[in-house]
Amino acid sequence: MESVGDHVPNRLTGVKSSLQIVRERFKEDEIILYLFEAYQIKGPEDANRLLALVSSESGGTFAIISFSFVRTPLTSVNELIINKVFAIDESFQLRQDCKGSITAYQFDLSTAEDGPIKYYFYPSESASYEEFVAKVISCKSSMTQSDPETVLNFRWLNDYRQIGEVKQELKKRESEYIVYKDIIIYCSTWNVNNKPCCDNADALRSWLGCSERAPDIYAIGLQELDTPAKAMLNSTQVQASVAQWNERMVQSVHPDVEYEILQYHRLVGIMLTVIVRKQLRQHILHCRFKSVARGVLNTLGNKGGVAISLQLNEGYICFVNSHLAAHMGYVEERNQDYNAIVDGLRFDDGRTISDHDHIFWLGDLNYRIQEPPGQQRPGPLTDAQTYELLLQYDQLRQEMRKGKCFEGYTEGEIKFRPTYKYDPGTDNYDSSEKQRAPAYCDRVLWKGTRIEQLAYNSIMDIRQSDHKPVYAVFRVKIKTRDEIRYKRVQEEVLKAVDKRENDNQPQISVEKTVIDFGRVRFNEPCMRDFNVYNSCPLPVDFSFKEKDIHDICEKWLQVDPRKDSLMIDSARSIRIKMLADVHTIRGLLKKIRSSDNFDILILHVENGRDIFITVTGDYQPSCFGLSMETMCRTDRPLSEYSQEQIKHLMNDNSQEYCVTMPREFFLLIDYLHKQGSKLEGGFHTFESRKSLNTHFNVVRDWLDTWCDEEFPGTPQSAAQALLLLLDLPEQPLLEPFVEDLLASKSKSKAMDYIALLSPPKRNVFMHLCMFLREGIECQYYDLDLVAVTFGRILLRSSECKAWPDYKIRCSQFMRLFIKSDGADVLVNRNEEAGAGPRADLPA
Amino acid sequence: MARGFDHLFKLLIIGDSGVGKSSLLIRFSDDTFSGSYITTIGVDFKIRTVDIDGLRVKLQIWDTAGQERFRTITSTYYRGTHGVIIVYDVTNGDSFANVRRWLEEIQNNCDVVNKVLVGNKNDDPDCKVVITEDAQRFAKQMDIELYETSAKDNINVDNMFLSITRQVLNHKLRTTSNEQQKDTINLKNNPGTKRRKCCS
Repeated sequence: MESVGDHVPNRLTGVKSSLQIVRERFKEDEIILYLFEAYQIKGPEDANRLLALVSSESGGTFAIISFSFVRTPLTSVNELIINKVFAIDESFQLRQDCKGSITAYQFDLSTAEDGPIKYYFYPSESASYEEFVAKVISCKSSMTQSDPETVLNFRWLNDYRQIGEVKQELKKRESEYIVYKDIIIYCSTWNVNNKPCCDNADALRSWLGCSERAPDIYAIGLQELDTPAKAMLNSTQVQASVAQWNERMVQSVHPDVEYEILQYHRLVGIMLTVIVRKQLRQHILHCRFKSVARGVLNTLGNKGGVAISLQLNEGYICFVNSHLAAHMGYVEERNQDYNAIVDGLRFDDGRTISDHDHIFWLGDLNYRIQEPPGQQRPGPLTDAQTYELLLQYDQLRQEMRKGKCFEGYTEGEIKFRPTYKYDPGTDNYDSSEKQRAPAYCDRVLWKGTRIEQLAYNSIMDIRQSDHKPVYAVFRVKIKTRDEIRYKRVQEEVLKAVDKRENDNQPQISVEKTVIDFGRVRFNEPCMRDFNVYNSCPLPVDFSFKEKDIHDICEKWLQVDPRKDSLMIDSARSIRIKMLADVHTIRGLLKKIRSSDNFDILILHVENGRDIFITVTGDYQPSCFGLSMETMCRTDRPLSEYSQEQIKHLMNDNSQEYCVTMPREFFLLIDYLHKQGSKLEGGFHTFESRKSLNTHFNVVRDWLDTWCDEEFPGTPQSAAQALLLLLDLPEQPLLEPFVEDLLASKSKSKAMDYIALLSPPKRNVFMHLCMFLREGIECQYYDLDLVAVTFGRILLRSSECKAWPDYKIRCSQFMRLFIKSDGADVLVNRNEEAGAGPRADLPA
Repeated sequence: MARGFDHLFKLLIIGDSGVGKSSLLIRFSDDTFSGSYITTIGVDFKIRTVDIDGLRVKLQIWDTAGQERFRTITSTYYRGTHGVIIVYDVTNGDSFANVRRWLEEIQNNCDVVNKVLVGNKNDDPDCKVVITEDAQRFAKQMDIELYETSAKDNINVDNMFLSITRQVLNHKLRTTSNEQQKDTINLKNNPGTKRRKCCS
């Protein structure tokens, strides 16, 4: 199939074409057949996708790789992120199913592992879509029509799906750090004809020690190691025999170098032993073995193949030793055995024989010489012409030419006599009754890259079997990592991948990081808006982060929205409202005492940074919420103070005061005193103080400016202001003696504590009691209601609130001070206090 | 999908405003430097993966705002941190004097002990006021390793980050092996505890 010419989805055209950029993502033998731009719907957003239809030469297969990309037009291969891989195998399906859907421009992709996964496309791409579908269908049919014997190989896809980004990148840049190192591999096969291993230590030296240069790896295949019957009946004997053969072989290899057995594997009489140079051992990362049994009933294993797979540096090597079906006429059976081994052999890592860079197949393949007329016995002939003549009739060569077996394999020139069948102990061909025709049964073939055969011969001196050993020596260039270069490339790759991650971090920008409310006044709401923008090529989620106060902001603030999503290139306005009122003033003043701002909000970008938004302003001090002590330190109206100045006064712990009691308090008491009976219901409910209307602000200003004019409100609003003045400070008026006072049993005892209060608090308390007592005496106010209301304000306590008689104690305490008869002893105090936790305290 | 790393560590950069915390981070993560000063208002992070003795360590490095008013809020970011980089400016004596306060912040907010002290802007001897010997003496006294760096001239930046990474990695490997040892002891002890319970 042809690759795409200049077809590039039009929306993606850039300086460097998208196709060129996408191509960089793939290996040389992987061809992009088509690029199709689609999108997926993720949440409320469309997510762009680029579908690449790719064919792999090495795998002979096709796939669709789905990329996500951060921006159009594409500018660099780094912007492509693989988000899905669909192998076009038998299970693969592309379906256009839009029943009950809003758009016809959609399709599903599915494979056995995945899907169906929905994709959409733009109506403008309809023509491209048709073309894309046609190409996909043709890929799929070319796959299903291919020879069923061929195993489809999707291994190339693993580079795109099972490994991380770093590995993908490293793989792509392989050429920068891969060097090829020569190693010498000695492969040999010998049918030992069930003969026992020779006792003589040097007996095999002429065979295995014969190469000029000491090989790095030996792969030695034996067949007919022991009779099948024996193998099944006496396993210890077989094992001893195996051990003896292996020991003898490792003793007989090239004498100049130290060797060890890396691995051996046996299937009945077929054994493959891999011996390596000791120094090479550490460079072999994996070694696996497997076998496929053939022979009787195709399962017994008297015929079949064993294979060993190893990874040397970055190269994968496979050795196969097989013993295929015997006898002249069984060519088809031999082919079948071969194919059964190729198809059936799969190592534990999933690799098949053909998944190796370098494959060496040796063994007693049993292909015979198809009796050339008049040349049934080569006799003493040894010249090249004779071999050539014989090989014309060699079944293996004939079958290979027909493509029936060993496809892709190469065999070197044969310049030796047929290695079968000899009278054991001699170099003479079979002289028995059967007079078997000589044949090249024993062969060594190879498949793969960078393999050079240095020698291919038989060993005539080894005579105990009816076969002669055949050996081949190869020089193989093994893919090897140059560690220094690899380290450098790896470093660069890690940096590039990190950079991609850093660059793709969601980002938002804010219009300002300081939200200044300007002047903020008690009981006056205000608000500010600011914008946040999405400043990156991805949709971004943001939210305000909860802080250790278990909310995203302080109580006097409100944020809307608290979280949202920002599409690409969009902005959102965020509104912050501020209100210093009866519910929040206590906290706000406390904050002001220790900080220069009202709050700091944490604007969190999902998977990204946090931005601190400082909320600030200039709080205009008011009497509400300030302690009596602070107010007594003022020497002018509060309206003339700044936030900074009042902060200073709030943090002042000295005992020096400008006045004996706050002027604001005095003004209210004075006004209320003058109003006398007009204060109907002003102190009646505890809760009335919490509902403030805007008219209240006039009262606030009258107090905060020490206004000379007449009180601007009703007696009720003055009463409300008085209650707030007493209730809003952080500390109740009678702190730090609330608990003691609640437990006091007599007025005189309570007076001892009152005397210890700070002068401003003491004066306010005494003055207040005097005022209330008078009002009650004149019957302007109801004693019980006043006692309840004021008791709970002056003795506010979150700890004592839990006492069952807390409310009763509060009002009883107040009665002591505001009841006109001035009784000093609490009525029934002992009985009632019995339930309270403080009953045992000394009076 | 492979994880792509063997360890993931969170590092935190703290220190007074303007000492070059962000510059150090950007030098390390992007190998760039910008002379213009943009104060960090918030908490930023970058990632960088390094190879330490064949182990791939992914670092998530958090750069905090140094301004005083953010002190309380940045302290909440100490949680879950594996290593802390305390930065001062060698041309600013106050920033060095404040290191003690930053060390207290660490003490109060995280259980990790892996720290490194960094004197940044070490590129102009004429401007240097915190002399190496003093800083070294202090570092020794506090049992912290000292690095004098320049994000501008790319001096010692990689070394410093690799040093704290190595410290964190060693700490982790050590504690993991300790835990394994503890497990072994626990297994041995368990039957004994049980027996005692049966007897009582």
